[in-house]
Amino acid sequence: MRTRNLGLSAAGLVIAVIYLIPVYWMVATSLKETGDVFNSPPDLVPSPPTLAAYSDAVFGDSAVLQGIWSSTIITIPTLLLTLALAVPAAYGLARFSLRINGIVMLLMLAAQMLPTISLALPMFAIFSDYGLVDTYAGLIIANTSLALPFAVVMLRPYMLAIPQDLMDAGLLDGCTGFRAFVKIGLPLVQPGLVMVATLTFVMTWGEFVFGLTLATSDAIQPITVVLNRFVAQFGTQWTNLMAVSTIIAIPIVVIFVLLQRYVVAGISEGGIKD
Amino acid sequence: MTSTVQTARATTQASPRRRPRPKRHWSRYAYIAPAVVFVAATTLYPLYYNISLSLYDAPIQKFLAGTIEFVGLANYAEELRNPELWAGLRVSLIYTVATIALMYVIGLALAVFFNRKFVGRNAVRAAIFLPYILPSVVAANVWRWILDGSYGLANHALMSLGIIDAPVFWLGQGTSALVAVVLATGWTMAPFAMLLLLAGLQNIPKGLYEAASLDGAGPLTRFRAITLPLLRPVSLVVALLGFIYTFRTFDTIFIMTKGGPGDATTVLPILAYNEAFVNFELGSGATINTLMLVIPTVLALFYFRATRSEDAQ
Repeated sequence: MRTRNLGLSAAGLVIAVIYLIPVYWMVATSLKETGDVFNSPPDLVPSPPTLAAYSDAVFGDSAVLQGIWSSTIITIPTLLLTLALAVPAAYGLARFSLRINGIVMLLMLAAQMLPTISLALPMFAIFSDYGLVDTYAGLIIANTSLALPFAVVMLRPYMLAIPQDLMDAGLLDGCTGFRAFVKIGLPLVQPGLVMVATLTFVMTWGEFVFGLTLATSDAIQPITVVLNRFVAQFGTQWTNLMAVSTIIAIPIVVIFVLLQRYVVAGISEGGIKD
Repeated sequence: MTSTVQTARATTQASPRRRPRPKRHWSRYAYIAPAVVFVAATTLYPLYYNISLSLYDAPIQKFLAGTIEFVGLANYAEELRNPELWAGLRVSLIYTVATIALMYVIGLALAVFFNRKFVGRNAVRAAIFLPYILPSVVAANVWRWILDGSYGLANHALMSLGIIDAPVFWLGQGTSALVAVVLATGWTMAPFAMLLLLAGLQNIPKGLYEAASLDGAGPLTRFRAITLPLLRPVSLVVALLGFIYTFRTFDTIFIMTKGGPGDATTVLPILAYNEAFVNFELGSGATINTLMLVIPTVLALFYFRATRSEDAQ
């Protein structure tokens, strides 16, 4: 029994290694000398590993630093705005049986299914009327429009699970409804908040279509769009392209490794079974 | 990202404990009003605007000058006669169906494997989840490199294994480019399928397998006679959500092929983008947008109906 379990563990490890080869290859390529990527057969391990591509394409290139800065300026307010709007909405939808609940949930679900480009085109037209094209504010609004419906829908089951007795006790103690929500409800749904914050970060940091269509100047474009510019510019400078790709992936990987138990639990727990 | 499954169930979850006190009814709307107004303004209004824009002749110069002309349904008449639209629909459907097949097969294999208990299971499962949350531009760019005709890892591996004898320029030819974007999309989507299918597998009563074993059914028979039929509802959800989320894919294809070579990988979202942001014809771009929404809308309605009737049981 014991050995069989370890056999499965070994098999699982092999499966994961094979599945993540593309990720390994991205990092390995980014650590090679520019010319070494053209070796045949390819060096499976960079020898010697070098950070040349990083000092050249990432820290030596103001466009990339600008892109990382823009992505940060877009992602953090999007995250805060999404949480500020989604948390009370998910609570309201879970705790109060309002007449419009059904239609609101349907709206939130349907909004997530839209192709981003079918929002980006009319948004471009609308934003140009309001001077929001090529501004951080415009990109923050657009990104929040993607993250918010998702966040409401993901948070609602957590809000449903708050024991009503606890909330009632708070109300009896003289808390207003809103105070009970903040003081009693929110601490109980912390895992849900962590999950939604993580996924909103992941979505916004990696967002591409709005960046491509709504940010026209280099100074505003997020890092994903800068990478696309690089693809056109240095089509086959693979060490540089993989270094920039790795840099984009690092925050996602770090946050995911730290918080994955919340994320996987959130998606699978509430998932199919209820 | 996808939370739809979760919620379609949660929507109708009974919670008899609600309504502590019925007074001050209106303050309750204050919780949801900001989010509803925001989504209405940034989703419903743009969709309405898109439809109205599709009724105008609106090249960008006229749009910015405020001189667009109302042309009624002329854009629709024109687009429906446009062979590019039908070619785009064909590519979209092939791409979507092939991606669903790939993500389902990989997802199911992974789910069956991870349904068994072993040391380190959660860590390995989480690691496999990584491609799903990796930014799609990053994933697409890595696949572009792996599938590079001259120096790519894929050709090297396939040639060492003797599967091909000459390098394939994956992104340089129509059919192989389509295979390449399907592969890249399937790789990122399979972990999502795995998670849904794993939840489905865990709901199958273990007793069924034990009874079947006693009757002498081997592992393959048990898989065919128990696992697959009982997974049907979850499989349907994977297929529907897979369709909706793959049909709308833009990033992966844009980075890998820009829709090329020729129009071999020009799916409808790429076509809408090209019309609006390359040719700067906002009116016909909006028209393609509206037409593109027809299929996923029908499927979404089907999905909502299916999940709702399941909940009612």
